Order: sequence, then structure tokens, then C-alpha cells
Amino acid sequence: MNRVSSMLKSALAAGALAAALALPVASAGPADAQDYPSKRLEWTIAFGPGGGNDIMSRTLIDILQKHKLYPENIVAENRAGGSGAVGWGYVFGKKGDPYQISSTSGSFVTTPLQADTPWKPTDFTPIALLASDDLVLLVKGDSEIETVQQFIEAAKKKPPTIGGIGAVNVDFIIPKILSKQAGFDFDYVSFNAAGELNTALLSNSLDAIMANPGEVLGLIESKDMRPLAYSGETTPPALGDVPTLKEAGYEIGVSLPRGLILPPDVPKEAQDWWIETIKKVVETPEWKDYLEKQILTENIRYGEDFRTFLKTTQDRFAEILREQGAIK
Amino acid sequence: MDLFANLWMGLSIALTPMNVLYLLAGAMIGMIVGIIPGFGPSAGLAILLPVTFGMDPVGAVVMLAAIYYASMYGGTITSILLNTPGESATVASTFDGYPLARQGRAGPALVMQAVASFVGGTVGVVLITLLAPLFALLARNFGPPEYFLLAMMGMLLLVVMVGGNWRLGVISALIGFALGTVGVDLETGQQRFTFGSAELIGGIDFIPVAIGLFGLGELYFSLWQGLHLSRTGSIVDYHRERRFWPEARDFIETRMTLVRGSLLGFVVGVIPGAGATIASLMSYSIEKSVSREPERFGKGAMAGLVGPEAANNAASAGAMVPLLTLGIPGSASTAVLLAAFLLWGLRPGPLLMSQNPEFAWGLIASMYLGNIALLALNIFAIPLFVWMVKTPYRILAPAVILVCTIGTYSVNGSIVETWLMFVAGIFGFFMKMFGFSPAALVLALVLGKLAEEALRQTLTISRGSFMIFLERPTSLWIIGITAAVLLVAPLLRRAQPRD
Repeated sequence: MNRVSSMLKSALAAGALAAALALPVASAGPADAQDYPSKRLEWTIAFGPGGGNDIMSRTLIDILQKHKLYPENIVAENRAGGSGAVGWGYVFGKKGDPYQISSTSGSFVTTPLQADTPWKPTDFTPIALLASDDLVLLVKGDSEIETVQQFIEAAKKKPPTIGGIGAVNVDFIIPKILSKQAGFDFDYVSFNAAGELNTALLSNSLDAIMANPGEVLGLIESKDMRPLAYSGETTPPALGDVPTLKEAGYEIGVSLPRGLILPPDVPKEAQDWWIETIKKVVETPEWKDYLEKQILTENIRYGEDFRTFLKTTQDRFAEILREQGAIK
Repeated sequence: MDLFANLWMGLSIALTPMNVLYLLAGAMIGMIVGIIPGFGPSAGLAILLPVTFGMDPVGAVVMLAAIYYASMYGGTITSILLNTPGESATVASTFDGYPLARQGRAGPALVMQAVASFVGGTVGVVLITLLAPLFALLARNFGPPEYFLLAMMGMLLLVVMVGGNWRLGVISALIGFALGTVGVDLETGQQRFTFGSAELIGGIDFIPVAIGLFGLGELYFSLWQGLHLSRTGSIVDYHRERRFWPEARDFIETRMTLVRGSLLGFVVGVIPGAGATIASLMSYSIEKSVSREPERFGKGAMAGLVGPEAANNAASAGAMVPLLTLGIPGSASTAVLLAAFLLWGLRPGPLLMSQNPEFAWGLIASMYLGNIALLALNIFAIPLFVWMVKTPYRILAPAVILVCTIGTYSVNGSIVETWLMFVAGIFGFFMKMFGFSPAALVLALVLGKLAEEALRQTLTISRGSFMIFLERPTSLWIIGITAAVLLVAPLLRRAQPRD
């Protein structure tokens, strides 16, 4: 009821605004569409400098400028706060403006589930999903467990402790789905950052962890940690012959979206322009290099397919988190 | 020997003209980043990270690492001169650093902090060179139970540290704990005390609170006392003592403090987590415990400044150990460095040092040079800073407010955090007026959160049993050391003959 009334309100407000601006909008709209892009682009990074989202955004901006794919200036702005709520809230407020863009990451799905944000991921104009963050299940290097099957067998006898980063996060969701399908129980231990998580496994505090491959690759190479399975569609080459959970017989189907979005209600022409441009971006050697170094799974879905992906991911998350009581 | 061959190779890499240039650039940037309140090393590193995209990894890491440890030198300058800690690791430096400055000993205090930083930093690099693999074992043995005990140790040390009225100190600490509970509950993902505000999901950040409570609180208090109207009109009564250089007494009195602070700082710094902060606090309370004149602490004791300074610089060197030997970042700053390693195509982990010896040893060798360069840079720059505190307060005060505001805003670009800083400033003014302890508040904010999270992680792991603390050897060691510090040190002091 509340949501309906707030939607009504915003629809009314948008209507009033459109009526008030009817003349300028009518004249600016088509002109914008024809020679898009002809103005400076404002790129919102919803996190502070140095994080995963920031590095991806700056890599993309670098590629767009180096290959002269965007004819005008691009200004990157870090608008951090509230796990992305502030930055994406800003872009959401720029309804219809095709010169606003932002990159998404895991919090794009999880923050609206946790907080009362005025926006949902599906409200924005989707450009493309570029890659997804998938995780690897690891045990300590000297563990007796060598395969994911052995892990599940042992887990059925004695519920293991599995560590990951954050509670409302894919780190928790993936083992939860796995445990339901395989039929075991586990205790999840939530950490703030990769450093604490990795030392928790090395110090024999936990039975297993879920981690970003990039952060544990060195520890896998030195045999301090042993990878059992990867949650994505295909295992990245750097991980060698580690099976995916799908190959092991479990359908996980969630991962965190690294993609690009425009504000809601942007002209179709601008969305199409960006889809065409991104098709060129993902072919550049710089982008391939970025994926390889960050060990991300390439996962490209354009336009509406991206919106569908966001919807399924969020629904799946909401269902599991609601069962756990983490969200209402 | 292998070790010296490696170090020699590292030096020959670090001494190429380009790398020396990068090192000096990093040292200068780090000093500036450290001096601006709020704008800490992790923000500085993150902003400069894109610049290193096309650089040679060795030159890049030499520069970024220099920014990191140089900020530890710079961060103390505002702690001493303006009572404004730039980050949690320099809170302890305000306790005696600021009283020293107000007594007209800003020059000696700044020189001693540079010397202490140099000794701490250099002892740290020597230990990395000789014993990095050994200390990596320490980092490997730290899980949630150990973190909880470490945080508890830090909080018990708060008791030693809080001077004046202990009841008001405890109330201050409780307010800090309360503030630490704001944000998403790490274990369940539910929100606590966020009142539906998206800005509060991430909790209350240390930086705006500390800058407000210490820096602005002190400033408002000085204005309330009418400092801007007084005849000299500056923070310090500079004419009382003209000496710029420390006296021989300052060095002799603090020589053991330097050694203790450096060793302690390094060992605690190796542990991923709140290393440098806990190290500086431990050092402060140990110095206060072993001192023959503990009553001078908080009123301008040189050992109270030198100990924490040596400790936080040694800790920043120690934090390099898990980064280089395990690929595990121990702090926000080293996490940015780790991200940089990945960007440059390196693979951090236990094999990094053997697979990329020129990178690792080039970095280690550059840290020797960096500490020497920073000592020189500090000594030359000190007259400039001393001149700053002689500036009439009616000019200095608005400038400080401006710099604090810009510094706090620039970290996350958050206007809410900027407001938080101003509110904390007003709060800090009243705390000062009624004798509460801002130090206890901010440290409880950091340590309370850490302790709560680690305790809940521990009890999830042990399925509710407290025996886990006695079953793990490293836990037992920490309990033993805490007991020793709290019980034995005061006894030793009493046994010492007084002169």
C-alpha cells in the first residue's frame, strides 16, 4: 500500500514536472537523440576511490578516451556513502538525463534489500552486464578434504563453519544454496574484509571460506589454501582445473553484476548508442587485460537482458535472506 | 649471504635515478596527506593509484609505499600542534604531544617525533629484512579469538591511559561503544540504530568523530577562553622557551622508550587488523606504567610522545610483512597496495618474494632510504610548522576549521560526514569543559566494534563455548602478555629505587 502510494506520488510529481517543462523537453528531446552524445558525461562512482567499482569505472573511462569512443569529456565523481545508496540515488534522481552514467557492483542488488532506498536495480535504464563476481570455495592447504564431494560428505556428518565477507552478500547466499541442494547444515561466520577472512582460515579458526579468486590466488599457488569449487559459469584459467559447482551437480545461479546503467527513462537512442559502444569496448585488449588481472568472469548481457538478470538475482537474494531473517 | 645479496640487489634497484625521484615524490605527498586532518594514507593512495597504471611496478610501489609510511610522520604534526589526530594511530600522540606544544616546546616535540618515527620505521625495516618469514607465522595464527583478546587488551589499556576522573572516562568510553554499534550488524546483516538513513548503514566513521572531538573541540574551547583576543594571540606561549632543538635529557630519558616502542609496534603491526592503533596505545600505557613519574603523563612527558610515535611507524613497517609474505592486507592502506599489486599484474602471496625478488627487495631497500629522507625532510620543515603555531589565533582558527572541513569531506565526498564532524566538535567542546575523555570515546568506538565482531565470530565458531580462548596457543599467549603488562609492570615500577 505504501509503495503504491509513493509510486503514485512520484508518477504525479513526474507528470507535473513534465507538464511544467513540456516546451523545453519537447524541443530538447529529439535534438538530443539525433546528435547524442554531444555533451560532457558525468560518471558516478558510488564508492570511494581504490575499490573494485572505482577501478572498473576508471578502466572503462580510460578505454573510452584512449580509443576515442566518447567524443566529449568524461568526468568521474566518487559519490560514496550508504553502501552505494548515495551514488545510485543521485543517478536515480537524474531521470531522463542521458549524460549521467554509473557502474554497478554487488551492492547495487543488496543495498536496496537492506535499506529503504527510493530505487530498485530494475528502475534504471540498463546498458550492459559486463562481468560477474563469482567466488571460490576453499579449505586450508593441509586439510584432508580434497574435493567438493568430500567436503559435502564431511559436512553432512558434522556441520562446518564457512566464512565470507558480509551477511547480506553473495558470500553467504552461495553456500546457502549449495547446502540446501546438497542437504547439509553449516554455520556462517561473517567478516569485514579479505585480510581477516584469509587469516581466519589460515589460523585454523574456520573449516572453509568463500573468497574472490583474485585475493587468494597467491595462497592457492603456495598450497596454503586448496580450492574446491568455483561458483561461476566457467572456471577462470588462473584457477586451473577447479570444477564449477554446476559441474559438481549444483545449480547456484547467482552472481554479482558488474555492469553499466543510465538513469531511468533515458531516450532509447542513448541506450542504443551505449550498447553499440560497449560492444566495441569489450573487444579492446585493455578490457581483456582488466578481466584477466582481476580474475572476473566475462558475462555479457545487453539492455533488457541485463534488467532481467538483475531481477532474477534480486528475487533469489530476497527469498534466501528473508528465510534467514536478515531482511524483512 | 643470500640476505645481503638480496638487499644489495634491492639497493641497486632503489637507487636508480627514477626510483629515487619516485621515492622523494612519495615521501613529500605522504607528508602532505598525513598533515591534512582526515585525509589519511588510504585515501591518498587510492587517489594516486590510477597514476601508476602505466608505471614500472617497482617505481610505483616505491612511491606508494613511501606515501604510506610518510603519512605516519606527517600525521603526528597536527596531533602535536593542533590536538587533531589525522587517524586512529596518532590519537595517542596527542596526549603528551599537544601539552608539550602548549608549553612552548613544539620544536623539541616535533624533532623528537621525527627521530622516534625514524627509529621506529628503521627498526621495522631491519626486522622485515632479517625476520619477515618468522613474523609471517605470527600473522598466520591470528583468528577471531585472538582479535577479540587483542581488542580487550587495548580496552584494558584504556583504563591505564585515561587520566583525571575515571568515572567520566568510563562514561566517555561507553558513549564510544554505543556509537560503535551503529550500522549494519556484521553477523545478521540487520540494521542497528540507522533510523532508516542510508548514510548510516556503514556505521559511524572514526575520522570525522576524531577530528571533531579533538581538533574542533579544542579550537572551540580556546575561542571560548578568548585566546583570539589575548595579547600574544597564539596557541603557545612561545616566548617562555626559545629552544628549537631537544635537550640531551630528552634523548637520554627516552632511549629505552624508543627501543620498546619500536619492537612492540613492529610485532603488533604484523598482525592484520587494528595494528598501528593498538600498538601506539600499548606503547603509551607501557611507558606510563614503567615511568618513574607517571603523574607527568598527559601533561607533557616526552616519553608519552616518543613511545607511540616509534610504535606506529614500526607498525606501518610491520604491516608490510603479511602483505609481502602472505598477500594479506592488514589495513585499509595496505588493502589499496594489494589492489595495486594486482593491477600491475603481480600475484601477491607467499611466493611473491621468490618470484619477484627485484620487486620485493627493491621495495624493502627503498624503505631504508625513505626513512632517512623523511627524517631530513621533517627536520628542515619543522621551523615552518613551529611558525604556524605562532600565527595569531584569529587567523589560525578559521584556517584550521577550513582545512578540517575540506579534509573530512574529501575522504568520501560525504556531506553527512562533514556535519558529523561539526556536531562532534560541539560535543568535544562540552566534553573538554566538563572533563570527559575524548580519547576514551574514539578508541572505544574503534576497539568496541572490533571486539564485538570478533567475539561473536569466535562464539559462532566455538558454538558458544568460551573454552576456545584457552584451547588455542596464540590466545593463551595474549592472555599471558596482557596479564604481564597489567600486573607486572606496575610492580616493577614500585620495585625501582626512586631518585
